[in-house]
Amino acid sequence: MIHFRTRRTIGLWIASLVGALAFAIDYWFRSRLGNAAIFSGATLFATLLLLVAIGLRKRLVMLPLWSVSSWVQIHIYSGLFSLVVYGLHVPRVIANGMFEGGLSLLFLTVSCSGLYGLFVSRTAPRKMTSVPGDYRFDRIPWHRQRLAESASDILSSLDASLASPVLATYYRDNLQPYFASRVPLAFLAVPNGIRRRRMLSRLAELNRYLSEECRAAAGQLAALVRTRDELDFHFAIQLRLRLWVAVHAILSMILVIWSLLHVLLVYHFL
Amino acid sequence: MDKSQAVLLRRPQRWDQPFDPTITDADVSWLRTRTPFAAMRDDAFPNSTPLSGILRNDCKIRRCQRGEVVVREGDYGNSAFLVLSGSVRVSLDKLPPESLGRDESRTKSWFDAMAQIWRRPRVAEVRPSTSVVTQGDSRIGAIDDRQAIFLQDFAGVFAERKSIALGPGELFGEIAAMYRTPQTATVVAEDEATLVEVRWQGLRLMRRDKNFAAQLERHYRQQWLTIHLRETPLLRFLPESVLQQVADATLLRSFGRMEWNTDFEKIRKLPVQDQIEQEPLIAIEGQLPTDLILIRSGFARVSQIYGAGHQTTAYLGKGHMFGFPELAHNITRPATAPPVQLQQSLRAVGFVDTLHIPIEVFAETVLPYIRQEELPLPEKVLPNSTEPYHAHKERRVVPREKPGEHRAPVADAPPTFVSTGLIEFLVQERLNNGRQTMVIDLDRCTRCDDCVRACATTHDGNARMTRTGLQHDHLMFAQACMHCTDPVCMIGCPTGAISRNELSGTISVTEPICIGCGTCASSCPYSNISMVEIRSPAGRIYQDKSTGLPILKATKCDLCQTQPSGPACQNACPHDALARLDLSMVGPLDQWLGRRR
Repeated sequence: MIHFRTRRTIGLWIASLVGALAFAIDYWFRSRLGNAAIFSGATLFATLLLLVAIGLRKRLVMLPLWSVSSWVQIHIYSGLFSLVVYGLHVPRVIANGMFEGGLSLLFLTVSCSGLYGLFVSRTAPRKMTSVPGDYRFDRIPWHRQRLAESASDILSSLDASLASPVLATYYRDNLQPYFASRVPLAFLAVPNGIRRRRMLSRLAELNRYLSEECRAAAGQLAALVRTRDELDFHFAIQLRLRLWVAVHAILSMILVIWSLLHVLLVYHFL
Repeated sequence: MDKSQAVLLRRPQRWDQPFDPTITDADVSWLRTRTPFAAMRDDAFPNSTPLSGILRNDCKIRRCQRGEVVVREGDYGNSAFLVLSGSVRVSLDKLPPESLGRDESRTKSWFDAMAQIWRRPRVAEVRPSTSVVTQGDSRIGAIDDRQAIFLQDFAGVFAERKSIALGPGELFGEIAAMYRTPQTATVVAEDEATLVEVRWQGLRLMRRDKNFAAQLERHYRQQWLTIHLRETPLLRFLPESVLQQVADATLLRSFGRMEWNTDFEKIRKLPVQDQIEQEPLIAIEGQLPTDLILIRSGFARVSQIYGAGHQTTAYLGKGHMFGFPELAHNITRPATAPPVQLQQSLRAVGFVDTLHIPIEVFAETVLPYIRQEELPLPEKVLPNSTEPYHAHKERRVVPREKPGEHRAPVADAPPTFVSTGLIEFLVQERLNNGRQTMVIDLDRCTRCDDCVRACATTHDGNARMTRTGLQHDHLMFAQACMHCTDPVCMIGCPTGAISRNELSGTISVTEPICIGCGTCASSCPYSNISMVEIRSPAGRIYQDKSTGLPILKATKCDLCQTQPSGPACQNACPHDALARLDLSMVGPLDQWLGRRR
């Protein structure tokens, strides 16, 4: 088994060497007054095809075509290599004209989303592991529903003592909407503990008005608030990862189609 | 609490649930007239477990018809069989799997593998009718109240194969039952035969009869002991004659109960310290070593006293040994140096079968043939050594060297990345039983569920795993069949539908001969086998003609043994977060963890 660090070093070396080779060939074309853009364009298009091939590989898991993780490694370093070739092919950041300009903008967007994906897929798992619970994405609405039901059960199990209306009112005005609500967009964008802290501090403020029994129930409700917050955190991170995959895949397919049109146009006017 | 308030109950007794509730006093009396029970003396058995009680509660009389498969090669069993009348035939050659109703798992072609994508049924658990009932050379039939599998062409199958007949008074299957090893041959009823099936608990009690015990031990020593000793790397340079001397002096011991899976359900609810206390001690820390202990089957925990408890430093499995450094040190020490005591304790985790080579025999016959470089360094053995001795350095079973071949001794390196806490966790949850345990690194897993999707793709849309399970630190031990070293699920399968592939070790279910009894699912201590209702390709549930009840089949991870890719879950993980690891040794997990540090 190769250590991940070693694998990364090997990958970077290979990507650098192939990048240097592409640079040298491009220089050789230019120095001989050849059409270096044909070479760099063809290389870039071939690299794009290799990059999107991972999508096909992921669907053919039953075939012994190396593991998907090996393909991810190829994808990462091919992506880095494609940035070098892009630099040779489009010597400016964004190409001229609407068509080519749009294509280069799309290429840079896909590249950025790829780099973001690399970052998020390496950091998000640790974030999720550090927060208690492990939830399947498709089961999260069910968990949410269970929490709301548990909160309701706690309230209904209380005796109609003097203090319970206080808790019941708080439940009706704050907790019930909280448990029934969807995750706010702001939380999805930047998961934070603001809502949890607000709920818990209000619940703590009620303690002085609660009987012993209600205080125990309030403690249980606080635990449910914490669990809901953890659930929302997992939801936000998993949604982020899933959205990233979807956006990256869709943009990549558009990029390949746009590039193909670009190649056809180039051949038409060559 | 006031004792008068206690609820009075009859304490559960050993024989509350007889093996065969239909056995009568007349049957017991009749059995007492047959060999070998006729020769057994009543006074050899204590009053609490008399022979008649054993026959009554630990035995089952089985009437077999011609062609009935009594024992299948490779199966795990917990019963021995005694022929009372008629005869059975033992096949000395391997029978083709299809004659036993099993399929030879063939790897799919690339096209067939890819076709799974567009041939996926619209509803869950769809089976063609050929997968519901057996179609091959075997058939399932009912005898008395049980179902059994029969050879269709008994004469034809045995005509071209070497076989021997066993007649009245002869015993078979006792080694597999006593020592939890796979059956080495297939046994088929030659004509109408009556057998007594003795479960292993009864077999153990019967060993109180000296003649019977001697017969069992003689058989084991003749057939197996030298083979086991020969497989021990430390003894690989012993000449045959010396090996025989060692075999003659070796003591056979067993610890714990074979039904560890049922005990485990109860023990795991106890506090951790009490769990360790429940494990039978094989060797005790602080005592002088008296023999070299070889683990023949099962698992053992190596622990050291630490504070008020016991710290697990390692676990040993088949082929490991215990006490070697202390023994070697004590034998080779200078006359002025004091002997060292055992540095650790050895406890049976579940059931453990051990071989004990006495110290005198070890000193005279074994030690002269051990190479200098294989002897432990004295400073690693001494109690005040700063570096703890790691039992992982004990050697595992490897085939003996061929003449002229020199192989370096096999030694597992001490773990670097597997913490003591993780070892404790693995032993406590009995995960060390797994040979293909699905381990997920939660620090790398993005929860994309590509593994579950891949599993579903390769199993007609039905995932055979869930991404849930026990967790320790940042590792998840997901719920998928672990293809265990000790596959307790295979014990008790009435038709042998659940079996282990000899080459790959994969345990799989042959669905046409699975009768849906659920024995395997209830035996699995990890709840990794599910019973499912199956449907026709049109989506209709299959029902039993006679009872109208849905037909159930046992389903579990088959390690994608028919797929060209191997385990799809592992292949599909984009982030190297998932691996199928052999946890019977610490090494693979240590290497896997080390790769990511």
